[in-house]
Amino acid sequence: MTDKPVLTLRDLSIEFPTPKGLVKAVKHLDLTIQKGRRVGFIGESGSGKTTTALAIMQMLAEPGRVSSGTIDLAGIDVLALSEEEMRQTRLSRIAYIPQGAMNSLNPVMRIEPQLWDGIIAHEGHVVEAELKRRSDEALASVGLPHHTAQLYPHELSGGMKQRVCIAMGIILNPDLIIADEPTSALDVVTQRQVMQTLKDIQAKIGSGLILIGHDMGLMAQSVDELAVLKDGELVEHGTVQQILEAPEHPYTQDLISSVPLVGGESFLNPERQADAPKRDSTEPLLRFDTVRKDYGDVTALHPLSFTLQGDTPQIISIVGQSGSGKSTMGSIMLGFNEPSQGKVLYEGQDVYNMSAAQSLAFRKNVQAVFQDPYACFNPFYRVNHALKFPFKRFGLAKSEAHTQQAMEEACAAVGLDPDLVLSRYPHQLSGGQRQRLIVARALMLSPKLLIADEPVSMVDASLRASILSNIYDLKDKYGISILYITHDLATAYHVSDFVMVLYKGHVVEAGPPKEVIGDPQHPYTQLLIDSIPWPDLHRSWGHTGGEWDPEAKEAAARRADMVFRGAVPGFDLVAG
Amino acid sequence: MGRIPRDYLINRVVTLVLTILIAATIIWIIPRLSPIDPAEIALGRMAAGAGAVANSEEILAQLRTQMGIDQPLIVQYVKYLAGALVFDFGLSTAAFPTPVSTLILNALPWTLGLMILSLIITFFIGNLLGALMVWERSPKLVKVAIPAAMVFTSIPPILSGLLLMWIFAAKLQWFPLTGAYSIFVEPGWNWAFIQSVIHHGFLPALSIVIVTFGFWALGMRGLMITVQGEDYVKLAEAKGLRPRYILYRYMIRNAILPQITAFALKVGLLIAGQVLVERIFAYNGMGKLLYDAILNQDFPVIQGVSYVIILMTALSVFLVDLLYPFIDPRIRHEAH
Repeated sequence: MTDKPVLTLRDLSIEFPTPKGLVKAVKHLDLTIQKGRRVGFIGESGSGKTTTALAIMQMLAEPGRVSSGTIDLAGIDVLALSEEEMRQTRLSRIAYIPQGAMNSLNPVMRIEPQLWDGIIAHEGHVVEAELKRRSDEALASVGLPHHTAQLYPHELSGGMKQRVCIAMGIILNPDLIIADEPTSALDVVTQRQVMQTLKDIQAKIGSGLILIGHDMGLMAQSVDELAVLKDGELVEHGTVQQILEAPEHPYTQDLISSVPLVGGESFLNPERQADAPKRDSTEPLLRFDTVRKDYGDVTALHPLSFTLQGDTPQIISIVGQSGSGKSTMGSIMLGFNEPSQGKVLYEGQDVYNMSAAQSLAFRKNVQAVFQDPYACFNPFYRVNHALKFPFKRFGLAKSEAHTQQAMEEACAAVGLDPDLVLSRYPHQLSGGQRQRLIVARALMLSPKLLIADEPVSMVDASLRASILSNIYDLKDKYGISILYITHDLATAYHVSDFVMVLYKGHVVEAGPPKEVIGDPQHPYTQLLIDSIPWPDLHRSWGHTGGEWDPEAKEAAARRADMVFRGAVPGFDLVAG
Repeated sequence: MGRIPRDYLINRVVTLVLTILIAATIIWIIPRLSPIDPAEIALGRMAAGAGAVANSEEILAQLRTQMGIDQPLIVQYVKYLAGALVFDFGLSTAAFPTPVSTLILNALPWTLGLMILSLIITFFIGNLLGALMVWERSPKLVKVAIPAAMVFTSIPPILSGLLLMWIFAAKLQWFPLTGAYSIFVEPGWNWAFIQSVIHHGFLPALSIVIVTFGFWALGMRGLMITVQGEDYVKLAEAKGLRPRYILYRYMIRNAILPQITAFALKVGLLIAGQVLVERIFAYNGMGKLLYDAILNQDFPVIQGVSYVIILMTALSVFLVDLLYPFIDPRIRHEAH
């Protein structure tokens, strides 16, 4: 490897003229990337990391423009290129691997022509045998089987699509690869596999790599250097080691400390345990009685029974990858998805066979927080409508002033300033603010049970901990029992009283979090823990030791028995 | 391209037959809900022509027998369905005793020719213009001109037809004013006749294209804006593909899919749709036939024309359903 830089950014500034004035998205950025080096761009959304990448590609969205500085790509002045020259530079010199692999391939074209059109656009006519040889080679290099070429995108899994995008990116051996959060839509096991593929192939062709992301752990496991961006400014740049071990800027320190770690320090400050809300029923709060769910021939959830007593508030976590059946379980609990077999009982009443009055009480007492804080508001109304409406509907409002007071209290409880947020429209608020409002909305109804399905997976990493502590407060201060559905083991480790690990519709391991996640026994739980990227250079990804071999682990997981350690009072689990 | 799964085909054919059956039943029931007695109307017409009609009760009974409306409803219904199978809708009451099928057969080719052709032209022009409205690299002129041209969409078709007639037929005399072909040529497969048909069809077709292209252009514009924001279009640009190639293979190819369904639905509607255009150009198509039938309360013709419209719509939707898995590979999965 030579020390020739593949990319030099000098005093780069990018601005977006808006009706409200000039927005400076990137300010005076100076950065050099050497050949063969992997550089991570880390920062929150809006920090300018993607904008910088797009500027290098000359693909800034209108009306964005580079207002000062230079971009030098291995001797080429990118900003001086004509449109046609820039088109030829893309893919052949700089490749872009996009964030949303789910949607990055043309749905009406097979994979093969989508690899070929990139070659043809740069080299003109190439004979088919040669195209075929090169596309097969590219697919093989990212570990995809030969027949993938003949498939359509919808026939591939998320991990396979992301590999196709990598294959496209390297097909012309670029000098620089820009990967924009390439694994953010994948689950942890696939994330580790795809990241490994990307690293291997980058090392093979010896290009530079910019990895954009917000996950400090993933960065620590993947890059050589880190550039920390905040509000368009490069606040810190150095080797990963320097930055992880001796971060200088307070923002970098925050970024590192805000990552919840399994076994690490808790981000919660438990106060005194509140009593559960007064219950007028002696029946258990929620009971699953041999509940099974089939979709056609596929069993999404194998028979499962548990009882949540609800006399002392608890947080039960349900952990699993996408497709494990965890969201199916959530929707069954909420009465949205009738089980194929068995009963769901809320305070002794069958959730799928309730009178209108019982149903109304159930809806008030069982609240939900969903994954997507953008989709949960009607964009037509100010956000206070979303808070006010259920409060009045369930007959809790005594007067207009009472409603207003309840809204303000709920906002304060989740750390929002009611004057600042309540009279706004949803699009004027950030994802984190919206998700907090959803929690506030649930809180206003003083429910007995909250079902939170991936409540923080779509908000910035730095906000996750604080939103989770809002949710934790519901248990701690208001005595609400919570079912927390997540793919994130580290947060489950901290917030829950009891953890169930779901794999292909089976509960494979269950027990208190310190045991299940801190010391996993089931091969599948071990695989999950091993796939977590740790923000620690002395540790390769997870920690259970041994070779990382997902196929072997999964094979073992299918044979292994359920591991069940220790019940907690008030929660009983019976599998089978 | 895979074969069409058998179950899917059976499912579609059953849907097609049921749609036609239900629709045929409805168009049979509706006129029978009306208090008007077609025999009395026919008699009234005779009386208007002859001043007075003797033995009116007898003639009325005879007319009812001829029209088949003296029989029990269920018999009428079964006969109607049996007739519909072979396109026999009985005799026209207004142009008595011409069979309805003859009237339709005379009118249908004109409408099919004019309307389908203008629909296809409109579909291509409208969608292309809609796509160009969104495309970043369209010339400035195009981006200004197309929205301005949308003004025509809000003009009622009769007005645009009259305007075209005034400019091109009356003032410039480039095209004939009315009719489907010149009275000086012999109808048949000869060049003079075909030339005359095209010459006569041009203005009616143009007036339809002008007023309907906006529908396609605006629909396409919305679809293109959605597609433009898709990740695969951004990645196509990042791959350094040529802009025109991205426009056709990535953007239009995906945006056009819902428009094809809309096209199938329009085929049926258009047959009766441009009644007024056919009227002002005195073009003897289905629209004019239906219009006259409504004026004369000629139920068998109304039924016959409605039936043909339903048949055309159902058939074109059926064809698009069969075609769709080939143009959108994602659909094939849902066949199972």
